[in-house]
Amino acid sequence: MTATEARLARLRGRALARPHNARTIAALASNPGCARRAIMDAAGVDKPRIAAHAGLPAPFGQSRFALARGNAFEAQLKAEGAAELLTLLRDHLQLPIPEAHYHDLNEVGGNPSPDLRHKRTGQLLTQAVASDTATGTMFDHPLLRLEVGGRHAFLEPDLIAFQLHGRFHVIEIKSFAVIDGQADADKVAAAAIQSAVYVLALRDALAAQRLPPEAVHHETILVCPENFSNRPVATSLDVRKQLTGLRRQLARIARIDDLLDQLPDGLTFDLDPDGVGVPQRDPADLVTAIRRVDARYAPECLSTCEMCFFCRDEAAGTTAALGREAREELGGVEQVQTALRLAGGTDRPAEGSDLAEAARLLRQAARLRADALGRESRRPGALGEAV
Amino acid sequence: MTDSVQSLERRIARLRTAVREAVLAGNRDRASALRRDLREAEQAWDAALAAAEVQAEPRPAADRPRPEAQETGTETRSPLLPLRDQVYQALSLLTVPAAPRLIATVHEAFFATTFPTTRLTSLKRDEERSFRAAPFARPYYLCAALTADLLAPARGLLAISTWPMEVRVIGSLSPRVDFLTGAIRVAEAIERLPAPVPAARRLLWRFAASIPAAADSAASTNPHQVKQAALAELAVHEQADRETRRAAARRARTQLDDVQQLFGSRMHDAAQQGQRGRGSDQK
Repeated sequence: MTATEARLARLRGRALARPHNARTIAALASNPGCARRAIMDAAGVDKPRIAAHAGLPAPFGQSRFALARGNAFEAQLKAEGAAELLTLLRDHLQLPIPEAHYHDLNEVGGNPSPDLRHKRTGQLLTQAVASDTATGTMFDHPLLRLEVGGRHAFLEPDLIAFQLHGRFHVIEIKSFAVIDGQADADKVAAAAIQSAVYVLALRDALAAQRLPPEAVHHETILVCPENFSNRPVATSLDVRKQLTGLRRQLARIARIDDLLDQLPDGLTFDLDPDGVGVPQRDPADLVTAIRRVDARYAPECLSTCEMCFFCRDEAAGTTAALGREAREELGGVEQVQTALRLAGGTDRPAEGSDLAEAARLLRQAARLRADALGRESRRPGALGEAV
Repeated sequence: MTDSVQSLERRIARLRTAVREAVLAGNRDRASALRRDLREAEQAWDAALAAAEVQAEPRPAADRPRPEAQETGTETRSPLLPLRDQVYQALSLLTVPAAPRLIATVHEAFFATTFPTTRLTSLKRDEERSFRAAPFARPYYLCAALTADLLAPARGLLAISTWPMEVRVIGSLSPRVDFLTGAIRVAEAIERLPAPVPAARRLLWRFAASIPAAADSAASTNPHQVKQAALAELAVHEQADRETRRAAARRARTQLDDVQQLFGSRMHDAAQQGQRGRGSDQK
């Protein structure tokens, strides 16, 4: 065990390490500046339990209904040897008729063991590339592996398609609708980054077989229901930008030492479980320990991180809690109260200081707001109440 | 006698509610105690009914009403055939291994009754148990399709034991070949129907939508055209698929015992068998 691993194990305490998955890797890349998340994920701590013990559990995880809907849509596409998906791929990739092979990698010989599935995935993918005739077109739930911070995380794309003498395509099935060619931008962004994680893992797997990274197409295929029907529609997503970001993040996780060096030696997130696993640690003590690691809260965290309510509570009253856009607009102003005082004119920073320009803009904004809303909002303190 | 059966049924219903409430309340101890009571009550119910059966004229066991069917009311219109016969009907129409959902849809389209697909999971297990207890005692068994590479049960597919092994092994092209074969059989079955049935036409459209040049829209789906389109694509895959299936079937017949030929050999079974084999060698 290296010094770093020992350090991370101490942070984790007695709990079992939770491995990374596509969602956690994607979340890391979407908020790269958050040291708290980086440290907690690297140590593999049980974030939902820690957040709950600290008194601010996140109602996290997908809703049961969304999960059921997603599973039903995927099952529909993959029924009868993925017949519907094949039609879609023939259309989208101009897949020739003879290439209609389907491999089910959900289990190997009735055994769902991840190691076995990962090995079999490797075998079948290489076989497909090496063969002169088509031996594999669609690989249902292959199991890939990606090294994250020195540990292997298993990743399971919905489907990988391979075109003979061509390239691999990662296919992601999502149950949010594409209505009139438009879909929820946040959801598409999340799907893109998740697909990018799979592309990276697939490239790693192929690199082990001495195949170039170009063997995996940088355009992944997102399959969603079209309009208000259950009919699937395929869209290409270019994930080159996400890949660059991910690679940088993964390299950064590898340098987790830099972050660890800034933390006190005895710091731990151990919950001090008793004989039956009930946490005994004083919550206030745990909160102090968590606060030792800096977080960078943004409202987007609410959909990706289990610590979100804790960090939001901590960030209350800061401009960061209003979102990245608001924070950037407000420049150097950290606290909402400061911004309000500057706008109301109670704080007047010295001319020429960093805040002078921000204060001028805020006063201007306050005046515009008052004019727009009429007399009522002009009474003293109205601005403060509105926020 | 019937009084006691009725009071037992009431007790079973009460206990079920109590178990559910205990489970929802997270009270595990109470739930397991209640479950124990429930099992006892159910055993008493079986015993009471058996006693009643002896007193009255003997009836075949299959006709005995099961308490859960009565209570939940899932079987509003009780079908004339047992579940395994319904599955057999649907599979015989398709002539290829199929997933529970497709089996239920086919049965609904051509035989007018459907069943919850969840019931098929336990059905395969029951068939295997029955075969192990008395091999080949029934004219047919509902069994697994086997994967061509490892001869393991293919996930979520049901087949009939009387089919040749070549039909029951699944290579990488077989899902597509079976899909096209199924489409052809459904199209033929619709052509035999005297009047068009909406459920059957919906099923045909589901097939047609995933076959090139089979149909333009749901309304204009024509069984003859679907069949021709499916045959055309089938001609492309047939040869390659047949070779894989023949080779796999040969292996299955030589390597597997009777039970495994029907229900597949699982990877962990193989490991256990190796140990058992070594054990018997030592004796």
